[in-house]
Amino acid sequence: MEILDSDILILGTGIAGFTSALHASEASGKLRISMISKLHAMRSHSVAAEGGISGVLYPGTDSKEIHAYDTVKGSDYLADQDAVELLAENAPSEIKFFDHIGVPWNRGDGGKIQQRPFGGMSSPRTAFAADKTGFFMMRALYDEALSRENIGIFHEHFATKLLIINGKSIGAFAFDIATGEEKIFRAKACIIATGGASRTFGFTTTSYSTTGDGTAMAYREGIPLKNMEFVQFHPTGLVPSGILITEAARGEGAYLINAKGERFMADYAKSKMELAPRDIVSRAIITEINKGNGLKEEDSGMEHVLLDLRHLDKNVINVKLPMVKELTMKMLDLDPSKEPIPVRPVAHFTMGGIHTDINGRILMADGKPLAGAWAIGEAGCVSVHGANRLGSNSLSQCSVWGRLAGKAAADYALHYNGNIADERSMMDVASAESARISSMLSSKGTKTPYDIRERLCAEMDKNMYVFRTSEGMAAAEKAVLGLMREFKDIYIEDKGSVYNTNLRDAFETENLLTLAYAIIVSAKPRLESRGAHAMVEYPKRDDSNWLKHTLVYRQGEGYAISYIPVKITRWKPEERRY
Amino acid sequence: MRASRYMIFLYAAMIGVPLLLLIYSILTFAGISAEIVYLRILIAAGLIIYCISAAIEVYSHRRAAAAKGVFPVSKGEEHLDSGRSKGREVKFKVARFDPKDGKMKEYIYAVKADRFTTVLDALLKIKSKQDATLSFRYSCRMGVCGSCGMVINGKPSLACETTVFSAAKGAGEISVQPMRANPLLTGLVTDFDDFFAKHKEVKPTLFRKDETEKLEAKEAYNQDAKETAEYLPYSYCIMCGLCMDACPVVNTNPDFLGPQALSQAYRYHMDSRDEMGDERLTSIDKLTGAWGCEFAGACSRACPKGVDPASAIQLLKADIVKNEAGDIF
Repeated sequence: MEILDSDILILGTGIAGFTSALHASEASGKLRISMISKLHAMRSHSVAAEGGISGVLYPGTDSKEIHAYDTVKGSDYLADQDAVELLAENAPSEIKFFDHIGVPWNRGDGGKIQQRPFGGMSSPRTAFAADKTGFFMMRALYDEALSRENIGIFHEHFATKLLIINGKSIGAFAFDIATGEEKIFRAKACIIATGGASRTFGFTTTSYSTTGDGTAMAYREGIPLKNMEFVQFHPTGLVPSGILITEAARGEGAYLINAKGERFMADYAKSKMELAPRDIVSRAIITEINKGNGLKEEDSGMEHVLLDLRHLDKNVINVKLPMVKELTMKMLDLDPSKEPIPVRPVAHFTMGGIHTDINGRILMADGKPLAGAWAIGEAGCVSVHGANRLGSNSLSQCSVWGRLAGKAAADYALHYNGNIADERSMMDVASAESARISSMLSSKGTKTPYDIRERLCAEMDKNMYVFRTSEGMAAAEKAVLGLMREFKDIYIEDKGSVYNTNLRDAFETENLLTLAYAIIVSAKPRLESRGAHAMVEYPKRDDSNWLKHTLVYRQGEGYAISYIPVKITRWKPEERRY
Repeated sequence: MRASRYMIFLYAAMIGVPLLLLIYSILTFAGISAEIVYLRILIAAGLIIYCISAAIEVYSHRRAAAAKGVFPVSKGEEHLDSGRSKGREVKFKVARFDPKDGKMKEYIYAVKADRFTTVLDALLKIKSKQDATLSFRYSCRMGVCGSCGMVINGKPSLACETTVFSAAKGAGEISVQPMRANPLLTGLVTDFDDFFAKHKEVKPTLFRKDETEKLEAKEAYNQDAKETAEYLPYSYCIMCGLCMDACPVVNTNPDFLGPQALSQAYRYHMDSRDEMGDERLTSIDKLTGAWGCEFAGACSRACPKGVDPASAIQLLKADIVKNEAGDIF
């Protein structure tokens, strides 16, 4: 087993991972930084981010304070307000940073970077590069990283275990998907930036790769996951594939209409209409469908409403929303300037994640930091989005905390004294993991990972969707526990070592089971409706009992739940009206 | 560079014609007219030779590329139980590379598809229900990550953007092969190491003299919408590799940087924020760089994102010449 040494290991090569790598690289040319991706590094799911990145570029009628307030209100008051202020404070310079590394921002008069309206944002403060913002940011980051000699990129390596020895993070165990070789990535500091877990659902906007591997690995090591019950359902997933139709479409003026042709949002959010926060719009759509005001797509049997762009200027579609047109033309043979687009709410973002402090340092259940470990981007939970994220805050979160963690990890690695870890204990853990992989490969079971994954997704789509009930969640818990037992009887048909995606799929399925279970057991006790967690029996927010973050962590073979207070600095919780 | 045997005529004509033209103009200038008739005939002959040998050259490249594209394929397995899902049954002939014996084998599957089903959906159905050993790359399934490039019915395509019905047309049959420009790894998976190395070689980074300001940005750089438009069309590259797969030169000369890398060189070269100067241009001023392109245009036709590498490369050539002319005068 090869041991690869570096100062900083970054798991995941999305916007958060790459940003942290660049800032660590800049901190000192002496630091050796390794990044590993289970894909080719430039193909991470961040490429699919469309609408833009928030940040007040032009104070005046708008301000950082209003950005922070909108975010807190959007979060249904579950966001930590000190973290939100940090986001609003630093987001504008992140947009300029991306200008400096090559993002082709849409520009207006005199070359000023344009900003567009977004859901829950009271002023236009979302910078954008057409509707491929995430893609352009990723390409700029990847290309910038190529120019830095102290960043090493390991494409197509799949990490299966975090190496934590004596309460200290010392890297990760991974295998090279292309060859099957097992490797130990030993590092003084480790940053987890492996993204969200929306693939726990079948109907989702996210890439097939969005399986929350880092979050699941952290859970297996006893690290708490925070606020996992809050899964964002984006209002406009394309029927039947779930592909994202960006909120920017509504930002540029598109309407949501039901089968009767009515702009039904008037009944749910009179002043913000289609630009209310996502949790509210998603509930409105499902309510309309439940009232019988939806339409049905024949082949898939999916019920939906319509997103109407027909009244938009063709130039707006071509310049600011080209991808919407490209996607609907290629996938549905539908021209959005002639026909409305069939959409329904779709799993999109994991508000929860690995428990961290305001600087992205991983915290254990006792509130103490895990030495040498950070979690950022969608994998981490500061929490800055609380119970519901506002659109375009995710890209600013990724770069703000990417920068913080990159610099902090660099500082930590530069001041590191002594050996990284006792080599023997490290080899013991790695050998045990290697044995686990071998036994999975040679297992004579009967179940395929695909069958288990398909049933898991169906269960989550059915019982953990936009509206939840106690009964449904209990059924989901039972079903997932059953699937976890079945997973022990797994069979890997592909026995090869070269690019064995069958084996990778089994590990991903295992991670999805872990995270689905964490979502369900975090959601079950929360007997209120807050942000994206809407319970039919408890339709109101209950601040006296539930204004707190959920922590779930592994305890033996079972799990434990605990709660920590929300940090409230300036804005007392009040009723959310839009 | 691997030149075909006709190249000698091409080069002879390339040098001969301008030389004759030069002599012709000198003679005209000197008022000598007797030999001019013969010279005209010679020049015309030279031009004809040039055209014929250039055509042969391009043709031989294409034929070599095509020959490389047709893998010797032996019979693999048949999985004809497509399950009971709704839709029309479509037959998939998948040419898979087997790393154990280094051979291509054709596997046959039947998949039920409806009007929404993409080739990627179909391959995933095959993998999950019929044959878990089939390997291929994929991720976003919305045409932006660049993972799922492959050759579908002979055409370099993204599997996630190609619907089964559009690919199958009337035939009811779809052939799928790995990309040809990269070394084969297994199944439909190819090795991108060289591809990434070529991309890196053209220095695809926005270069600034002030590195610190780059990361600790205070103000956005000046760039207006018109300046953005100069490079924007070339910035849509998702690095899927399909242009390289389509390029006849890449397929016969593995050292050629190719349309992907060169289009990205042009993208950064044209960005008004870039301060690299001529270094990037100089690095591609070679036969395996911009001059390797024979302007077949296959790359631009193959690009699923509408990037036009062929035009980028010709514009690069023009800028290189402009630069060199500037050096001389």
